[in-house]
Amino acid sequence: MYAANLLTTVIGALINLTGPGHYIKWGFIQMSLANLILIILMIVVLFLAIVIPFPHRSGGKR
Amino acid sequence: MIDEKEIQIDRSEQDDKAIEHQWTTKLRKKVEGELPPNKLLPDTQPAYVSSWIYVFGVLTLSALGVVAVSGGILALFGPSWWQQSPEGHFVNSLHLWSVELFFFFMVVHLWGKFFMAAWRGKRALTWISGAVAFLVSIGAAFTGYLSQQNFDSQWISTQGKDAMNSIGIGAFFNLMNFGQMFMWHILLLPLLVVVIVGIHIVGVRAKGVVPPIGSLPNKEDYAKPWQGKVRPYDIIKEGTIAVIIVSLLTVALSVVFSSPDKPPLTIQRWAKADPTDFVTTAASELAGTSFSGSYGPPYNNGTGAVQYLGPISLQKIAGVRIPINSAYDFVLQPLSIVPNNPTLKAALKTYESASPATQTLWNNNFAKADSKLMVKGNEIAVPKGNYGPIPMLMDNMLKLANTGALDAALENSHQFYGTDYTKPLLFMADGNYMASLATQDHLTGNQWGMMNETDKWPGQPWLWLYTMWYQIPPMSTSGNADVLVMSIMVLLTIGFASIPFIPGVRSIPEKVGLYRLIWRDYYKDQKS
Repeated sequence: MYAANLLTTVIGALINLTGPGHYIKWGFIQMSLANLILIILMIVVLFLAIVIPFPHRSGGKR
Repeated sequence: MIDEKEIQIDRSEQDDKAIEHQWTTKLRKKVEGELPPNKLLPDTQPAYVSSWIYVFGVLTLSALGVVAVSGGILALFGPSWWQQSPEGHFVNSLHLWSVELFFFFMVVHLWGKFFMAAWRGKRALTWISGAVAFLVSIGAAFTGYLSQQNFDSQWISTQGKDAMNSIGIGAFFNLMNFGQMFMWHILLLPLLVVVIVGIHIVGVRAKGVVPPIGSLPNKEDYAKPWQGKVRPYDIIKEGTIAVIIVSLLTVALSVVFSSPDKPPLTIQRWAKADPTDFVTTAASELAGTSFSGSYGPPYNNGTGAVQYLGPISLQKIAGVRIPINSAYDFVLQPLSIVPNNPTLKAALKTYESASPATQTLWNNNFAKADSKLMVKGNEIAVPKGNYGPIPMLMDNMLKLANTGALDAALENSHQFYGTDYTKPLLFMADGNYMASLATQDHLTGNQWGMMNETDKWPGQPWLWLYTMWYQIPPMSTSGNADVLVMSIMVLLTIGFASIPFIPGVRSIPEKVGLYRLIWRDYYKDQKS
């Protein structure tokens, strides 16, 4: 019973995305909010990947 | 490894010379020279590889692995499993989110490599193979969306077919043929992606990671092995950690958001929901005036949707390859299989034996009465007029649709197993009901629908450029929009893959200067 409940929880969405989507309109550009979030996330991740310092380990001459 | 010096080899000098010239020997020596084990599985790497931007390559590869495993499980159990069982739907969610992660990481990886001008030092092939891998992956994902078997798949296939038809490949790559698209998705395109990604990885390992801009005195030096500082690098450990992270992210996203599952539209559902639209569409199919009926190649010799690139129509050159006669295929043939209905049989005989002029007169009269058409239950009512047997035929079309028999009749006209949905999809797309559902979900062309998914899920944002061209004049108003957009995309694709060879464009990374941030540790080290 517990296993069945766990399975139902895992395979059902915690956040339900069913229903009319939200869309952004800017001039002739139209985009779903979900797509826009993905694109913004990509830009943010690129920025963070560049600016966050990479952990250093001592390097030596080969 | 066998040391040839330690064993007695009984062969002549002539044999040795012959062996030296063997294709196998030459290939082995080339592989040994280009890819010794310490390059394939290195334990150190140049010290300048010191930025988080470098992890996106291995994250992309890991996501590809999760895509392959989740796709493999879906293939193992088959299409009805992911459609009908919660477990199957969950694995479908894993597949969807691993694909989203794959593209996410690949795009960041690609941007990073662009700003590092990673094609320097004879690494152009690595850039080209990466660009091609990205584009083939878009194709693989697109066929995946077509294979979902939900409303999104139906709509994408009916809209995308025009682009394929406009460049003459619609009959050979038929988006409405589920069986064909499924095979492309699970075999041909993944195979191609893996081969190209393999070439890309071999290129990266053989040539090494590109040194920082300005780190070497001569342009040629960038192609030589790095002679500067190195640091320890455990490639296997890095790969394992990346796979774990991507797997956990995929599971988390699937648990939190699941995946879309808007049921497909059937002709039965359409006929019940909007019988008037169904009947007027069926009447236009009978008259041959519907979009499909007057489309042109590859379906028939109509001219309604024939596109030209200047004076050339690739669509016409490819010719009629999937013959469709809308009157026969969508109306007369399905009605002819209705059993035990002598009145219908007589109506069919009256229509088919009438002269083309009489048929046209009946069809035109019925089309004029369209606006006054009423549907009550399974029967239609039109004002009195000279329609011949058309009202009787439409009555029976509606009955056939309402029972679900028309779906089956259009799908499997001549065979038991059916995987080709060209006819029912063309028929449904000719009506207004399917488009109204697509409009609600922002899937239509003028809504940038190609990028969108049903409900609130993200779709294919990587198609933004392709979608954008349709919104801009002259494409937004042209009858040749598809062939124009496809041509632009072909040119841009060639340009994208050829960036290492395009003066001006290939210098953008140096002008933008983001590379200074990426390699700041190296430059700081050099200064000190």
